Amino acid sequence: MIQKKICMVGVFGTGKTCLVQQFVHSRFSVKYHSTVGVKIDRKVVPVEDGEVTLLLWDLAGRDGHGDITVSYLRGAHGVLYVVDGTRRETFDQVFELRDIVEKAVGPLPSAVALNKSDLTEEWKLGKADDKALAARSWHQFTTSAKTGAGVEAAFAWIAREAVRQGSAPS
Amino acid sequence: MSVDAFGLTDTGKVRENNEDHFVIATLRKAVDLGQTSLENGLLAGRVRESAARLFVVADGVGGHTGGELASGAAVQCLLEYVAQAAGCFHDLGVDQENEFLERLEAGIQRAHERIQRELGAGGEAPSTTLTLAALVGLRAYLVHVGDSRAYYLTRGRLRQLTRDQTMGEYLLDAGAWTEETAARARTAGNLISTVGGSEMTPSIGLVDLMPGDVLLLCTDGLTKHVADPQIAEVLGKNRSASESARELMDLALAAGGTDNITVIVAKLGE
Repeated sequence: MIQKKICMVGVFGTGKTCLVQQFVHSRFSVKYHSTVGVKIDRKVVPVEDGEVTLLLWDLAGRDGHGDITVSYLRGAHGVLYVVDGTRRETFDQVFELRDIVEKAVGPLPSAVALNKSDLTEEWKLGKADDKALAARSWHQFTTSAKTGAGVEAAFAWIAREAVRQGSAPS
Repeated sequence: MSVDAFGLTDTGKVRENNEDHFVIATLRKAVDLGQTSLENGLLAGRVRESAARLFVVADGVGGHTGGELASGAAVQCLLEYVAQAAGCFHDLGVDQENEFLERLEAGIQRAHERIQRELGAGGEAPSTTLTLAALVGLRAYLVHVGDSRAYYLTRGRLRQLTRDQTMGEYLLDAGAWTEETAARARTAGNLISTVGGSEMTPSIGLVDLMPGDVLLLCTDGLTKHVADPQIAEVLGKNRSASESARELMDLALAAGGTDNITVIVAKLGE
């Protein structure tokens, strides 16, 4: 079966691990655990021509303004960037993170998950931010790792794009 | 890169049997040249030894001698499997890296099935925790089941690489318990995932280390008695792996030694 490595990238505490846990195990953790190194999960997902195994590399979140460990990105087929919609600064930093990733491994299929959509009262993003992402041709999903809203759609999209990119003539 | 690694295990002061086991091993792939008509220089850099260091700790569960048998069988089975499957660690590329992790995981699955088949006749099988770290270059691959832990010390900071697969952690995560409830509950330390048990969910990960970092694998006989800051202090001293392992063991024994204690310390050369 085809395997595709998808890296979860974002600032610390944006919910990368929770998104993977919701997607793979259908569960949500209320307790925050900072990821150390990389945690790897797998899930088989259907795509147009069959199935693909997603290898989900949940990278430790960027802490402060330190860089992410680019050696973990080697061989990635796609990236899901994660923003905490209740923390404006995590949105602001996602553009810089994409630059770091693309400098390390080149352009890859990627999308942004605007996470924690269940926290509607604390939501800090607006239409201008949607436009900023669209202006950079960045596919976006509004997700909640807690309720599961948008989670399947985000991973299904990145799986499809990773497979499509992998089979495209060079 | 040199690695100074040392392991110790002790029954402790309360238990009658030691149900812990550990292994430190080196997986090698090398070609020993006999004769050749080629100039040696042509082979330089192509025929070379590659090595992966393997560290495993296991803490048996099951009472009497069952736990001891389970942890021993798990470590032995895992090592046999990895020895057969080894070779894929040479110059790990992206695809081989995943294959390597799958083989480590398959080794644990095989141990799980062997324990259930051979030790579970007529009832519930004894089981064991198992924490494995495979060091290939500076990258440590981790496969973990249960509550034996892996840590690493980097730039003086201790980081826990594994999360305990216990009832307490599970219910805290789910929001069903508070920290206070977990601290009081007698069932908080019950394992929800073990090799040979009714549930086994290996957790997989990796971390890139730096020269000078220290890797620690240990059973809960250490962490029940020695807090993380103490562990960090010991590992941060400029001592050999054997001296550090001995000091950690002595701290756990001095604090009560209520359980079997196993530690592996691996110090990466500068």
